[in-house]
Amino acid sequence: MPSLSSTVRDLIDDRPAEGIFRVHSRLFTDPALFDLEMKLIFARTWNFLGFEADLSKAHDFVTTSIGRTPVLVTRSKDGEVGAFLNRCPHRGATVCQQEMGSARAFVCPYHAWTFDSAGQLIGMKEKSAGAYPSNFDAMAHGLTPLARVGIYRGLIFGSLSEDVASLEDHLGPMKFFIDLAMDQGSHGMEPIPGRSVYSFRGNWKLQLDNGLDGYHLTTAHASFLEVMMRRRTGQGNTSANSLDFAKNMDARQSAFAFPNGHCALVNELPEDARRPFIDMEEVRSRIPEERARWVDLNYNTLIFPNLQLIQNTALALRIIRPLSPDLTEMHYFCLGAIGEDDDRRAMRLRAFEDFYNAAGLATPDDSAVYEMCQRGLAGGDGQWLQGYMRGVKSLEPGDSERARAFGVRADQSATGSIRSGFETQLHAAYRQWAAMMGDARMEAA
Amino acid sequence: MERVQATAIVRDILEQEAIFLEEKRWDDWLSLYTPDCLYWVPAWRRDGTLCSDPRRELSLIYYASRGGLEDRVIRIRSGQSPAGEQLARTTHLVSNVRLEDAEQSGGMLKARASFATHFYAPKDRKPSICFGNLRVKIVQADAQWRIKEKIVQLQNDYIETFLDVYCL
Ligand code: FES
Ligand SMILES: [Fe+2]
Repeated sequence: MPSLSSTVRDLIDDRPAEGIFRVHSRLFTDPALFDLEMKLIFARTWNFLGFEADLSKAHDFVTTSIGRTPVLVTRSKDGEVGAFLNRCPHRGATVCQQEMGSARAFVCPYHAWTFDSAGQLIGMKEKSAGAYPSNFDAMAHGLTPLARVGIYRGLIFGSLSEDVASLEDHLGPMKFFIDLAMDQGSHGMEPIPGRSVYSFRGNWKLQLDNGLDGYHLTTAHASFLEVMMRRRTGQGNTSANSLDFAKNMDARQSAFAFPNGHCALVNELPEDARRPFIDMEEVRSRIPEERARWVDLNYNTLIFPNLQLIQNTALALRIIRPLSPDLTEMHYFCLGAIGEDDDRRAMRLRAFEDFYNAAGLATPDDSAVYEMCQRGLAGGDGQWLQGYMRGVKSLEPGDSERARAFGVRADQSATGSIRSGFETQLHAAYRQWAAMMGDARMEAA
Repeated sequence: MERVQATAIVRDILEQEAIFLEEKRWDDWLSLYTPDCLYWVPAWRRDGTLCSDPRRELSLIYYASRGGLEDRVIRIRSGQSPAGEQLARTTHLVSNVRLEDAEQSGGMLKARASFATHFYAPKDRKPSICFGNLRVKIVQADAQWRIKEKIVQLQNDYIETFLDVYCL
């Protein structure tokens, strides 16, 4: 048990030589740790901000956030993608209230300071009558730009800190998975219109864990499996065309812990379980076979700290947005190929809605168990959690044969079947968590 | 058919649905729908408008047959859904029922209504609400009025933890 004098790093019990990996429950409950996460993790690394496809024209914008910091992402009149704090330098009001739209100028509703789509101040009401100090003009009055903005394959990332590696270096092997997703469309991919936003009363890392947890499928989603079983007889909403997980429990599963906190769980399903919304013939005609063959792979990934790219029953992307130690907001996107036909798009949508929607048949069960975890973790000194050791005996340092087949470099790999329900991929995330939270002193519980 | 009488038929079936859901009489609830019914809850676009094309845009729920509603009942009854472990107690209010057009030939009635559903699961210690409006098409099938189409516009689409048909 961490003592009064210990550091935050001591909350991860990571002893590779003994095969022990435990995470302390305080990671999920402690408000002081939450504040440190915002400062030491979210404010110091690349965060996903949005899709270039949502900013197709000059003056298009979306709003998002990094941790709790509100962010405005725009395409300026010169076509440049920029990201700024969505915070008026005058008194701090959010200058843009909408999630998405198009605007040549953002007029702050409070005192009408006005900014263009490149974040520059273009109007200050009654400036000359303002009797401002003589050095006022020397101050920057525009929206504060993010320290770094980068785009990889249409995904826009930003960092509040200057001191980060290049986006490509940060993503590392995750580029493989982003490429697989983006390669589905000959003109790239887009988030399909329609909000899927919900909250759950639990810590954000409950979603981090669960997004790469295959172990819970046959329990938390037993009711979904029952529905799928009945659909085999032609009853129920068969047109959802969802993946019949129960048929594929013996498919090969690989668990990868990558550098920089990223991780992936990859399932190699048989041919007949591949998703029908991908036009594999078209893909094969466009990109080299050694990449095309993995485009319909089944994967659950985490791009540290809070982006999950998943191809399971549909191709989806989720942003985990921490609001407080025990409240989290989820932004979920179903990805579709730009310009794909109605049939393929409808297939993606029906499968996404069936399983992933907060009004679907699976995600509500995930959210419900997170809330049970949050209730269970409450109180006292907490305890060490044992949910990170499935797969330890299968671990290989570095790349497995499967990692080499996919062409990704891993810090550690495990190979088994879906039944293995690996958890060792999550070591990457918690090691990165410990590295970034580092030597911050920990208050007594 | 008189307008007053037609409105009463629509109101009756919507109130009947509300009560079946409140009393968790799932089979009775299912029987209010035709097998080929449309049950659709469109999502909102991020620009604040409502999605209109279910083939190209996301829906919160989209079923082109009663099969999807049956799935819901199977899941609730399975006893294996953590979200339904303590099924919410619900109160379904429907009002402002208005006939949409008077074209009632062929025995189809089109109407709109407003709804508010309050729901509460004791474990959450907190009541929730879903509210909005709905459009229905009601037809006569097997000597009974049934719902052929129900399109729900959910006004509060920031979903707390989950959404299910008994929250609407
Ligand atoms: S807060 Fe924006 S103009 Fe005053
Ligand atoms: Fe799940």
